[in-house]
Amino acid sequence: MPFLHLRHICVEFPIYQGSSRSLKKILISGTTKGNLARDAFDRVNVRALSDVSFDVENGERFGIIGPNGAGKTTLLKVLAGIYKPTQGHASISGRAMALINASVGLNPDATGRENIILRGMYMDIHPRAMRRHVDAVAEFTELGDYLDMPVRTYSSGMMVRLAFAISTCIRPEILVLDEWLAAGDAQFLIKAQKRMEEFVSGSSIVVLASHSLDLVRQWCRRAIYLREGVVQAVGPVEDVVARYEAALS
Amino acid sequence: MPINTSLEYAPAASPVAGTDTEPLPTVSRATEALSDLLAGFTRAWMWSALAYQDIRLRYRGSLLGPFWITLTNLVLLVAMGAIYAALFKIETSTYIPFLMTGLLVWQFLSTVVNESCSTFTAAQDVIQQVPLPFSIQAYRTVYRNLIVLAHNAVIIPFGLILFAVPVTWRVLEIFPALLVLCVNGIWISLLLGTVSTRFRDVPPIVGNAVQVVFFITPIFWPIDAVGDWKPLLVLSPVFAAIDVVRAPLLGEATSPHSWTILLACTVVGGAFGLGFFVRFRERIAYWI
Repeated sequence: MPFLHLRHICVEFPIYQGSSRSLKKILISGTTKGNLARDAFDRVNVRALSDVSFDVENGERFGIIGPNGAGKTTLLKVLAGIYKPTQGHASISGRAMALINASVGLNPDATGRENIILRGMYMDIHPRAMRRHVDAVAEFTELGDYLDMPVRTYSSGMMVRLAFAISTCIRPEILVLDEWLAAGDAQFLIKAQKRMEEFVSGSSIVVLASHSLDLVRQWCRRAIYLREGVVQAVGPVEDVVARYEAALS
Repeated sequence: MPINTSLEYAPAASPVAGTDTEPLPTVSRATEALSDLLAGFTRAWMWSALAYQDIRLRYRGSLLGPFWITLTNLVLLVAMGAIYAALFKIETSTYIPFLMTGLLVWQFLSTVVNESCSTFTAAQDVIQQVPLPFSIQAYRTVYRNLIVLAHNAVIIPFGLILFAVPVTWRVLEIFPALLVLCVNGIWISLLLGTVSTRFRDVPPIVGNAVQVVFFITPIFWPIDAVGDWKPLLVLSPVFAAIDVVRAPLLGEATSPHSWTILLACTVVGGAFGLGFFVRFRERIAYWI
């Protein structure tokens, strides 16, 4: 049974701008005192997430909202197992599938069909196993003949359709989605929502980060509201969205 | 405020009972790094496919593909073979096979070392989006160069036949030798790959060092030419690495210490590279 349990998660990014990224500065600073030493270790740490704790249980659809720079994508990356928190502990059970960027693993010069196999590889699915899913994916995208065209000819909406269809062709235990999903048109979004409802009715977790409060309200039952990496509220989606709206006005 | 009752404020209140009292289990860094190495290795289908894709992309639209390097080598061999054989006063029929086999191993070693710097930076997009074992990128770097090596090796049999080099059973020694070189390639990729994500001036430093090593290692000049320095030069791990492949191909015995030095280098370097990977593995996604 998949679950996400986060305890006091902190994520800090060291910013290595010019000076501290240089080995020379570090080496010199070991031998000289004064300005250089301070220069080399005067690292700027950006705290993207600060003391974040929450739980998502099996079968839940969970939303992440907040303004730009709130730490939504960073939090998604922690959930997907890409960033190991600098402090705190994330207990994640279940295989996470992250759709953080629509184009990852897609080779722009390969056709849509070829890319289904390629992208499957990054999802840890052997090409032989992936070949069995190609038709189902093709059908879901409704891209028709476009699937035999190179992906670089696709519009961003078409790319989203393809990426979403590939990533959800095998039911992931934890599906992590970033805002770009909204680039799909209304018809696609309805279809995507239906597929996700199927998932959570089985045994899956869906986490969605979005600016679109409507989308989050429609898709999620619980949500978290982040601001500058700090949790403002966690709870039922209506209440959290209301609190966010109150903060906006 | 009615809202407050239904909201769980974090972090002030504990959103879930027992948040602070029940510590969640942690897995040690070493265990995680080792399972990364193992999980990566068992995905041979993935790193081999990625390595082939790298090669295809690199030579997309070119007529000869990776055989361009083979052709370049051929030209280099003819040009260098003629001049340096005269310079060192060696028969071309002895010098060219020596140079050909030496360059073959050197090109593998040097590109593995150079490209290991971009092991993780080249896979930046994927590392930032998909949680895959990091070691896959190291296996991919080594395997990609093994494919290039196979392309370059095509001219070797022709050269050996052309210059009537006696082929003996010794030639089979190149297989364990290449295996050991690959193991070294993996720790070098993990080490330099990680360091290069943090310090962006490591790749040019490595590039320069590799170039210097080319000139001070007996690759295009015979080791006997240095006279008194020979006992010192045979201790170089780079010489050992070249010797264990070159000598068997030429039907000669390897220098007495080559295997010892190479294996020692594998063990010491491997331990160091592994230790480094264990310590910094989880920082790679941040540094990149």
